[in-house]
Amino acid sequence: MSMQALNQLVARSIIDPAIVQKFSSGIIAEVLSDLDFTHDLREKLVNLTADTWVEFAILAYRLVKSTEPVTATIDLPSPAEGLFIEETHVGKEQVA
Amino acid sequence: MITITREEREWFLRNLAQGLIEYMGAASPPIEVEEMLQHPPDIFGLDFGVVDMYSNLWDATFARPPSRRGSIFVRVNLTPVQRRFALAREILSAMITSKHGQVLGLGDILMDWLQESAEYFARHLLAPEPMVEVFQENGSDPVRFAKEFGIPKEIAEKRLNDVIL
Repeated sequence: MSMQALNQLVARSIIDPAIVQKFSSGIIAEVLSDLDFTHDLREKLVNLTADTWVEFAILAYRLVKSTEPVTATIDLPSPAEGLFIEETHVGKEQVA
Repeated sequence: MITITREEREWFLRNLAQGLIEYMGAASPPIEVEEMLQHPPDIFGLDFGVVDMYSNLWDATFARPPSRRGSIFVRVNLTPVQRRFALAREILSAMITSKHGQVLGLGDILMDWLQESAEYFARHLLAPEPMVEVFQENGSDPVRFAKEFGIPKEIAEKRLNDVIL
């Protein structure tokens, strides 16, 4: 969600000079308050130090990315175990 | 200036393209960039001209004559899909060298990678990810993709191979 908000902010900044003006004036918090960032993340974004808007955007990307949950990985069974562990086990019980 | 990775640069370029797509209000392909160049966002009013030219040197190039509007000089005999891509690519130079682009600091991260960045930007301006995802629900045939998005086939192939992290 936060990355989506950041994408929205950066995309808007390309055609809306008010965003970079607020950044340059040190009042970027006013813009961030309209976007879907958590309170904690918004605080961190406001405190980023950057010389230009682009630099701010990149630092913000790193920050937001570091807070995003890691994409779930698919746990494949080991080839050594085979694909049907459960079924094999059940099968043995039934035989016994 | 901080050092940035390719992934970060590409992320930024996609959002740059997205800003223009939102301005155009484009909801489906093809993305009519020439129409946007004729009716640019206010902030790029002095940067988005188009001038047809007779040349065998380039397909298109951006130039900003002293104290005049910046324009993309585009070869007249390009096919419509070549023209669309060439214009989209040169928009990045127009943005970087614009007053707003300088205030943003676009040149700091893009000038060293201008050609690569411009082509990546153009691919994502003409084929934004949400539209590509919809297209891919019915396969990934580059010929059909090129036709639907109005872009050259080789660009369509590259776009379909763009990995978004």
